[in-house]
Amino acid sequence: MSLYNVLFTSLPVIAMGVFDQDVSARFCLKYPMLYQEGPQNLLFRWSRLLGWMLHGVGSAVIIFFLTIASLKHQAFRKDGEVIDLSILGATAYTCVVWAVNMQMAITVNYFTLIQHICIWSGIFLWYLFLIIYGAITPSFSTTFFMVFSEALGGAPAYWVVTLLVAVAALIPYFTLAVVKTWFFPDYHNKIQWLQHAAKHADPEEELGVVLRQFSVRSTGVGVSARRDAKLVRTNSKVIHADSSSQSQATVELT
Amino acid sequence: MNSGDAAGSSSGGSGDAGAPRRASRKPKYSKFTQQELPACKPILTPKWVISVFLLVGVIFVPIGVASLLASNKVVEIVDRYDDACVPSNVTNKLAYIQNSTISKTCRRTLKVPKDMKQPIFVYYQLNNFYQNHRRYVKSRNDQQLRDASKANETTLCDPEKTRDGMAIVPCGLIAWSTFNDTYTFQHNTNNLSIDKTDISWKSDRDHKFGSDVFPKNFQKGPLIGGKTLNESIPLSEQEDLIVWMRTAALPTFRKLYGRIYVDLKENDTITVTLDNNYNTYSFDGKKSLVLSTSTWLGGKNDFLGLAYLTVGGLCFFLAFAFTLLYLIKPRLVAYKLSYTNRIKFHR
Repeated sequence: MSLYNVLFTSLPVIAMGVFDQDVSARFCLKYPMLYQEGPQNLLFRWSRLLGWMLHGVGSAVIIFFLTIASLKHQAFRKDGEVIDLSILGATAYTCVVWAVNMQMAITVNYFTLIQHICIWSGIFLWYLFLIIYGAITPSFSTTFFMVFSEALGGAPAYWVVTLLVAVAALIPYFTLAVVKTWFFPDYHNKIQWLQHAAKHADPEEELGVVLRQFSVRSTGVGVSARRDAKLVRTNSKVIHADSSSQSQATVELT
Repeated sequence: MNSGDAAGSSSGGSGDAGAPRRASRKPKYSKFTQQELPACKPILTPKWVISVFLLVGVIFVPIGVASLLASNKVVEIVDRYDDACVPSNVTNKLAYIQNSTISKTCRRTLKVPKDMKQPIFVYYQLNNFYQNHRRYVKSRNDQQLRDASKANETTLCDPEKTRDGMAIVPCGLIAWSTFNDTYTFQHNTNNLSIDKTDISWKSDRDHKFGSDVFPKNFQKGPLIGGKTLNESIPLSEQEDLIVWMRTAALPTFRKLYGRIYVDLKENDTITVTLDNNYNTYSFDGKKSLVLSTSTWLGGKNDFLGLAYLTVGGLCFFLAFAFTLLYLIKPRLVAYKLSYTNRIKFHR
């Protein structure tokens, strides 16, 4: 099952790491404050990392218990067959592959063709693997022999359970993501909203023209910068003053 | 790739007519390397979020209703008999069940609660029996089961590998502990025939259990764990064994015993004559007999329908809540930022 990590879910992650852009290059140059997300450690805080780990554990718990409760001791097909270890395992595995790939689809900010290929092929490859591996002689495939072709593929219960479990595993993350981007947006989220509005706005009225580039405080890194940035975030005002530069620009976002 | 000797060639051009062209080290432009591939940048706008939740709700609630209806259509009779089939004067149940001289025949009466249309499936259900225990699941040898020439392959079959120096076929704990209660049925005083063919998966019969492999040296030891096999029937036709060897996933499981192709009417009486042979008394296990019909979704399990309804209802609630928030918009900074133009610039 090390194939799981390598094939079915690594490609979307690699594609996300290489191709994802939360803010386009043009907007990055316009808003240098985005750079502060690095020194202020906004993206790799322990709270964020633990949040992701908790999400992983929570999804696993949802997938495991929902699958087991849906496929208990009763028959799962019209012909009266009951589940066994390999059938339950293959169903749970399918739910995991779907949940992880759909999670990638929700998380990715910049959907290129490559992302599409990686995500959908991840799912498609899993089914292909089930069919092909199941067709190999049972001295090699043991319990997975024909598990999809014979038992699962024609069982409506399998597809119904997969749909339920994959969606149920994603709803918590989706809800939290919505609440975060609507009410507690990070700086790059705000820029994304601006980007989105700029696409729909009157081309003559470019919002970017209004916001000038302003210089950053002389202490842009370190503990004092983090403390100040925290104050700034809580007041949701961005005030910059650079004593050494000629101009002083204040921008108030209401 | 442009030539690499840019610095060398350009620095020595002091006396030339025009400055020599500086060979550029700039890589060839391509959309792929400059990360400018055409892409869509999805963002969680209120319109999208609310419609996604509504869509999920609209899809899930009907599926939930359909699943619940299917589950309610299934008629199931479950009769636990391991406690009732031990005579009341027996104090040591374990000794009773292990005593092969006592007749263990037991009669049970079942009442049909609703009309049951054929095929009706007969299962035996075991509780607290961990067929998914790792050592148990590994205790078999698939090569021996499939191939008559590999009869002496007994790796991993401990402790049921050999008896008196000869290999046991089929070896292992799974085969040794095959369920051996038997049931015969009578429907309103008529004999009810039960079809015991095709109860196992076809792939098991054709590919995992050989048609030229015969049981040998089986259940000859001091401890008999379960069923004794007829040595003249090949393994591919021993369907009870095949069904049992497909190890169950959970500690409470059912296995198909047979099918009845007769319609049963409400309030019919089914008399079951069973042989209470199997020992579940040493580990607090339970045995039950189950008669059940089936639908497109399988047997009776309300959980699937209820879970769908719960998730669909939750999505509707979330759609409603997000709509409210969108309308009230207390601190929707991002929304405000994108759709209003109140950005003051002071100098």
